[in-house]
Amino acid sequence: MLLHYKCPNCGDDMAFDSESGNLSCSSCGRADSIDDFSDEFITTRLTDEEAKEYVCNNCGAAVITDADTSATSCSFCGAGVVLADRVSGNLAPDMVIPFQISKDQAMEAFKKWCKNGRLTPDGFMTADRIKNITGIYVPFWLYDLHSIADVRAKATKVRTYTQGDYIYTETKYYDVERKIDLTFQKVPVDASEKMNDELMDKLEPYDYGTLKDFKTPYLAGFLAEKYNFNNKDLFPRVKSKVSSYIDKYIGSTINGYSSVQYLEKNVATDERKAYYVLLPVWMVYYDFDKQEHTFAMNGVTGKVVGKPPLSMKKIATWWGGIAAASFVGLKLVSFIIGGEIW
Amino acid sequence: MRNIKQIVTLTFMLLLIGFISVTTVLADDSKQRIYDYANLLTDEEIAKLEQLAYEHSEKRETDFIIVISPDADGKDIQNYFEDIYDEIGPGYDKPHGNTVMLTLDRDNRKLYLGSFEGAQDRMDIQRVDLLYEKVTPLLHDDKYYEAFETFIETGSKYMRYIPGVNPESFLFDTWFHILIAIGIGAVIVGTMAYNSGGKVTVNERTYTGDFKVLKQKDIYLTKSVTKRKKPSNNNRGGGGGSGGVTRGGSSYTGRGGSF
Repeated sequence: MLLHYKCPNCGDDMAFDSESGNLSCSSCGRADSIDDFSDEFITTRLTDEEAKEYVCNNCGAAVITDADTSATSCSFCGAGVVLADRVSGNLAPDMVIPFQISKDQAMEAFKKWCKNGRLTPDGFMTADRIKNITGIYVPFWLYDLHSIADVRAKATKVRTYTQGDYIYTETKYYDVERKIDLTFQKVPVDASEKMNDELMDKLEPYDYGTLKDFKTPYLAGFLAEKYNFNNKDLFPRVKSKVSSYIDKYIGSTINGYSSVQYLEKNVATDERKAYYVLLPVWMVYYDFDKQEHTFAMNGVTGKVVGKPPLSMKKIATWWGGIAAASFVGLKLVSFIIGGEIW
Repeated sequence: MRNIKQIVTLTFMLLLIGFISVTTVLADDSKQRIYDYANLLTDEEIAKLEQLAYEHSEKRETDFIIVISPDADGKDIQNYFEDIYDEIGPGYDKPHGNTVMLTLDRDNRKLYLGSFEGAQDRMDIQRVDLLYEKVTPLLHDDKYYEAFETFIETGSKYMRYIPGVNPESFLFDTWFHILIAIGIGAVIVGTMAYNSGGKVTVNERTYTGDFKVLKQKDIYLTKSVTKRKKPSNNNRGGGGGSGGVTRGGSSYTGRGGSF
């Protein structure tokens, strides 16, 4: 089943507008609130399950997608369409954060980011070879977690004092126990196979204040993916993600000691709730020096992640400059202490 | 043409004046700093050392004195060191003032060197020890002139450093500075390169709901005490002690021994 949004005014295609947060028509400028958009203008067409082919409601051409795509544009007429059966039933997202940065703003932000790259080659900084910029809703699981940590540790307090001709070192030994209750809210884990986990982790944080109940029109005009892994599959990953936070908190509750040696550390983490959400990401594809570089941008905050090419020349210049400055600084200090430079 | 000639002549004259004024800083205070009662040095060597001692005395505002005795008047070298100071009364600021002095007993092959009065700040026991270790091997090889030259030049170099630091420390070596500078550059540029792809900006605060400690126990079990003797401060110096006060009432820091 394919969803397509027709303008009630002029009949042209409508798409989600990140600036206003409405469904808007590029021809006549009509804007409709997503909550109020009438179903009669969402045209649907059931597809033959056997054929596994989606046909564009707008022009009748076949919409070609890969198996994970849940929203795309018709490659023939350009109309934004949503593949309804891929966002319903088990695959229905609970919530979505709509794009708040438009394509132009994303382009602008990316160019600005390129200019700030201190180690990137000059040719890259001009950002004039951006091949493609695509808005994608990436599937994430947000976990509400509850952990109970039981910790036993041996700790010492060391004190030294002088009495008469002797220096005394006094070591006191303690048996330390802690039982800690921790809850985490909406820890995100990327659920798409295609997206690089490391890249997606760096995109955080998303502002959860802008989470909206999922409605298909938000996807109109963008690409969207469905999840490849369910919440059970990704639970180990979210557990490892919070384990460092848990360790840090445990450490902070055991203080005032000179040394702490853990004897036992049992952490039991349960999933309280998992939400399936779509988060907005601008993917930027940039051709430089015969190589394609991929960058991702947080569709709410504009934060850019991805490895830019590095210029050996600039690295050498910075390195040399910093080393020279440090050398002068060190010599200055030894001059102050030693009276002469050499 | 004439202008150029004038400029050349003038420049030449200025250079000449500069050259002369540099080379003519001769020992002009007619003060004796090198006392060779044992005839270990030639007249020429004594003149050179006098000049060197004068220059460094001016620089450090401290007199550099060398006294060479055939037999230390039959006294212990440290007593001789004290008495000769009282007798000669050297000092840059005043008689019996700031002085760094070396005394040598030729026949018994004994040596004592140290600093008096205000010079003790910048020639403390650590530096006296270092200087002693530098001078003794040269004396042992009968390289007297080199030893005295080293005494004045190295002693003067040490006094450049603010009190309390070890002047021979590798911290002042140029290779060490180069190494650290390259290291700082590598760390900063490495961090820049590492972070060029964006960094993780979330922490435990971001997703924290509620952290509470349900139960906590800190039970004191036992204690152990170890003791060690306080290291004493004045057990250094190869049979030389570390200083005292002369009969004339001048305080000094010094070290001595055989060579």
